[in-house]
Amino acid sequence: MLAREKPSKALRWLGKQLFNRENPAAFFDPLLESLNPMWVRGYTPARVEQVLKETAETKTFILKPTQRWSGFEAGQHVNICTEIDGRRHTRPFSLSSSPVLWQEQGVITLTIKRLPGGLVTNWLHDRLEVGAVLGMSDAFGDFLIPEPAAPVLFIAGGSGITPILSQLETMATQDYRAPITLLYFVRTHEDVIAGSQLNALAARYPALTLNIVATHLGASPRYLSDKDLDTVPGLKARKAFLCGPRGLMELAEHLLRGRGIRQSDIHCTFFAAPSAGLSDQAVGGQVQFTESSLEVGSQGDANLLEIAEAAGLSPRYGCRMGICHQCSCRKTSGTVINRLTGQPSGRGEEMVQLCISVPQGPVSIEA
Amino acid sequence: MKRMTEAQLSELEQDFNAIRDQVVADLGERDATYIRRIVRLHRTLEVAGRITMPFGFIPPVFVGATLALGLSKIIENMEIGHNVMHGQYDWMNDSSLHSQSYEWDTVCTGESWRRTHNYEHHTYTNIIGKDRDYGYALLRLDDDEQWRPRHSLQFINYILLSVFFQWGVGLHELESERIRRGEIRVKDKLPFLKDFFRKGGRQAFKDYVFFPLVTLPVAPIVLAGNIGANLIRNLWSSTVIFCGHFTQQAETFTEAECEGESRGHWYLRQLTGSSNFTGGKWVHLLSGHLSFQVEHHLFPDLPAHRYPEISEQVQAVCQKHGLPYNTGSFARQYGSVLKRIAAFSLPDRIRTRLPALSMAHAT
Repeated sequence: MLAREKPSKALRWLGKQLFNRENPAAFFDPLLESLNPMWVRGYTPARVEQVLKETAETKTFILKPTQRWSGFEAGQHVNICTEIDGRRHTRPFSLSSSPVLWQEQGVITLTIKRLPGGLVTNWLHDRLEVGAVLGMSDAFGDFLIPEPAAPVLFIAGGSGITPILSQLETMATQDYRAPITLLYFVRTHEDVIAGSQLNALAARYPALTLNIVATHLGASPRYLSDKDLDTVPGLKARKAFLCGPRGLMELAEHLLRGRGIRQSDIHCTFFAAPSAGLSDQAVGGQVQFTESSLEVGSQGDANLLEIAEAAGLSPRYGCRMGICHQCSCRKTSGTVINRLTGQPSGRGEEMVQLCISVPQGPVSIEA
Repeated sequence: MKRMTEAQLSELEQDFNAIRDQVVADLGERDATYIRRIVRLHRTLEVAGRITMPFGFIPPVFVGATLALGLSKIIENMEIGHNVMHGQYDWMNDSSLHSQSYEWDTVCTGESWRRTHNYEHHTYTNIIGKDRDYGYALLRLDDDEQWRPRHSLQFINYILLSVFFQWGVGLHELESERIRRGEIRVKDKLPFLKDFFRKGGRQAFKDYVFFPLVTLPVAPIVLAGNIGANLIRNLWSSTVIFCGHFTQQAETFTEAECEGESRGHWYLRQLTGSSNFTGGKWVHLLSGHLSFQVEHHLFPDLPAHRYPEISEQVQAVCQKHGLPYNTGSFARQYGSVLKRIAAFSLPDRIRTRLPALSMAHAT
């Protein structure tokens, strides 16, 4: 969800009385938006100040959120809302700048790599221009710098470097007193994101050991191995932070566990492309009903309404044929197929009609 | 109703599905831009109406302010509220335009409307005994309902319903006729009544207490203007809605006809139970495109501003299947509604003998 203002109790009462909404200011948003999108009250607007090219596939977007935004901690993420062809899409991205930059200059940065075939990342790369205004959520996530200071091992892959950039900048500014090692895996040296920034950090911040590994130089790929971990002094005492493609994360977790590092000392976060492999025809999957804390499996083309009812839930419904929208619920993640159109949904958060939505793989529903 | 075989119904279903699919595939920025423009128009009219109303001691300003506020309520109810709550813009994924959370500027709560209108009326359209919108359990509009002496005065009821339309719609879910018949108890309706009084209280407080009070020296003028604006909206929306299903050509159905019906039969029922009226762009906008009631009932969750665009295709499908496409000028359609209300206020043995009302035969 996008960050919403929480107006005072009196304002909420007045909003309900006069405008049938909790935030009376949001009534005027359609007018304010056409005057200046940054005046919108219904969500947190953020203006694009600058767009920098990092690599062929990666850009850094410098954003200026409205002053009432609540800020963030290094390693956290935000949901960004874009409108593409009339549809709003919400996607999470890691903040790549340090919170100090927000506190001092009121700007944040997002470093975003194109996902092959990805609707939102490609739109951001191709269509988003300086001066445009996006919707933004509060920051979230617990991929946070350890307090008190402890030795840290970062293992990043590709665009997984972004939350770590924020953390390294913050640690350098705070002069974080513990050894830090970054193992950064990229396909080739052209794929290094923020290379000069990383080198500058390593130069001015002696606690940081930087090791950038190109995996696809030789004939066969060179992945993370025990040898890489051997180069990290005092490995056992380190808190590990992993961010990157699923394969790298699973490999790293396996190797670290093999070295006797406790699960509680391994922190993971990833926003990778969905694992391919589901054919268009494959339907069914695990369905999680978050408000009822219930998870059930489904097979075949049972729709979400039938699945919920079979699981003993009684969601609101009406016509059961896709007309009345009584059963619309918020899907927080996963893909569903619309039974009327045969079209798959996006992966992100959106409203779906339960009675005509068939899960394709794991799906989370707020019901 | 025209009898069709299962094969014909299935072909009809495919023909209408094709129109629907084509619009769904094309939904995008144009629709988003359209509805946002209408929302801005509504906000502008409402702000303008509220600000100028206290200067209503100047007669032309009073007329202008009342009209602006009345129009803003009409646009919000008809083109925004009704259509948004149908889920016409759910695909935009914009929480301010989402069917399940939208709350409109009228007494009826969004929740109650979604139940009684989106589900009951649009699923059981014109099935006597199941579609409580048919005559609003107040008017006798069909000979399936037996004549009683109270029906002879139903024209007065109709006028009262139009004048207080938002309150009538708000109380629709009370099912007072079933309470009268002893089928349900008032107690069962307490949760509904609580919501009704809360929302109705808000609407009355805003227009009849709050805004007059904050403009105290001219309170009577603001109060009169606000009453006028609500009255304009009530009369107009009642008229539009009556033209949608109660013209003399609009058909009614029995429960038996519709048991276990196919989607094709559902389309057929929507088509023959609804009626359009013609008019200019503004007429369509102010009616929330319910002037295209036929298209609306076939495709209740397609953005309403698309109805004029698909009207020709719908007519072509009707022609292909030899089905009626009920349309006419606003005056003709409304005239036939009034005639129907008048005709069925009479006992059938008198009604069927009056040549002036002969059009109003049982359907």
